[in-house]
Formats: sequence, C-alpha cells, structure tokens
Amino acid sequence: MLKLASNHADYLLSQPESGMGYQLVEVTFRSDKRPEAVIYEAKGVQATVPVARTQQAVVYNAELLLLDREQPLLKQAAYGSLLESAKNSAEWISELRFLPDARPSRQTAMAMESSGKYGKTTGPAKDAPPEKTKDGEVFKRFSAYSNDRRVTADGGLLPGTYATTEEDAKNVKTGKEAVARYALPNPTPASYVFTIRPHTDTVIQYGIVQPAYGQLGGGVEVIFTVGTQRNTVTGPLKIPDE
Amino acid sequence: MKIKLEQQWIEKLLGWPESGMGYQRVDLRLADGREVKDVPVFNAEEVEVPDEFAGVSIKDIQLHAA
Repeated sequence: MLKLASNHADYLLSQPESGMGYQLVEVTFRSDKRPEAVIYEAKGVQATVPVARTQQAVVYNAELLLLDREQPLLKQAAYGSLLESAKNSAEWISELRFLPDARPSRQTAMAMESSGKYGKTTGPAKDAPPEKTKDGEVFKRFSAYSNDRRVTADGGLLPGTYATTEEDAKNVKTGKEAVARYALPNPTPASYVFTIRPHTDTVIQYGIVQPAYGQLGGGVEVIFTVGTQRNTVTGPLKIPDE
Repeated sequence: MKIKLEQQWIEKLLGWPESGMGYQRVDLRLADGREVKDVPVFNAEEVEVPDEFAGVSIKDIQLHAA
C-alpha cells in the first residue's frame, strides 16, 4: 500500500485509465526493501505478508497503489485513511509500469465491485476524494425543516451541504426511516424531501453513512463540496413522518 | 434541550460545511466561561445542549474539529 510520489503520479497521469478511476500497473520493489503487502489496517496498526519483488497492482486516482493482496483493504477502511497511512512510493519502488492490456485479477475485481471505486462506498463522504457529477444525476435531501437553511434564496445549496442519491432515497418512505438510514442526531422525522439536479461536473464526494446516534446508517451520503448552482433545488415534498 | 440561536450565529453556521445531512457539530463558549464541546446544531438554528445549560447565553461558536 503506497502513496505515489509526484514522479510516479505524473507518469500515470500521462497514461490512460484502465477503468473509471483506476489504472493497472506492474510494480517492482527496490532491492534494498523487503516487499510486503498489507493485509490488515486499522487505526495505524498493520499486518503484512511478504510478496514477490515484482507485482501487479492497482493505482486509484493516480495516488494510492494497492497490490492484489491488498485490495480487500478497500472494504475494511475508508479510502482517506488508507491514503493517510500509506508509505511513500519513492522509498519503495524502483520501477512502475502501466499495463495497457491488463485486466483486473479476480481478487481485485471482487474488491472493486463490493467496495466501489477508490473505496467510496465504504467510508464517510468527508474522507472520499472529490469527483464530479454526471449528466442527469439527481439527488435528494431529507430535512426536518421545510425552511431548510442550506437551500439558498436562489435555489442552490450552500458549500458543504449533504444529500443522498436519488437511488438510495428510494429506500426511505418516512421521515423516521431517513433519521435511521442517514444516522441523523435529530430524532425529529426528516420528512421534507428536496430534489437536487446539479449541473454536470459539480464537485461532489460520495460515501456511506457510518453508524451513529444509535442509528444504523448505511445509506449513501454525498457532499456538495462547493455547493450547487442556482435553480438546482426544488421542493420540499412532504413524506409521512412514520 | 434545544436552544434557538440568534441570527448572528445562524449566519456564521451557514458559512461552514455540514457534519451530516441537516446538522453541524460545534463547540460552544458560553458567557459564563463554560465550554460545551461537540454538540449538534440542526438547520443552523437550534443547538442541542444538556439541560444544565438552560438559559445561558452564547459567546462564541466554532465548528467542532473531528
């Protein structure tokens, strides 16, 4: 698990992606290092196993390199925390080579499928890397207040405002269900539903609501990092409290 | 208990990001010198504090550092 040094990152940024948000590479460890894969990581505590000096790996967002053995980490920890605890590639890698014709290994493909690309569906949105909205994406915001103050007078959202995806919102039929799914500290039912249609390429972070306040969480959460444009918010629609 | 915030605090809170959908976690400095750490504010207008802080006035609010 390595955080790419700028020369490695620059090299990969000059290469095409292997899939959305990742590149498949071959990495060769320096001869003075004992190559190892991190198989467990929690709060800075790591368990490692030795690996061959030359390995296939996946680089996410041109910044975080995970060996095939390390892919399950994406299910265990938030992307941001992995990045924080990763070692600098400059000290460990003698060669990094983009593999234009490679396909993800079975283990890597399974980890990607269950965790989402760069772990965005395992950790909270605040730890996720910024992305951009796609054309036609729709989001919902559940609020206990019909006069939600995060909605601006011109129909936008203030920077740093949370919401969820339209798809995830389909799991919520009542305001109390919203409190549980999005682990809200306010027990008042979040029964006012706003609809958000941001412009394409609006900056956004995706994540999963962590358990809190005696609620399970588990819903998808997004942060509009710099807010949304005017006339992108409509509503609210009132759903039953319970 | 929930305390309604004055307009000056509402405006300050709206300049900060949320901590989750519809709320922010903040630290309060009270006029009597006490501090209340990591309490939720809902819709930038109501702060939830322990009952012992009933009736106190707020001297400053800062976003709680996670």
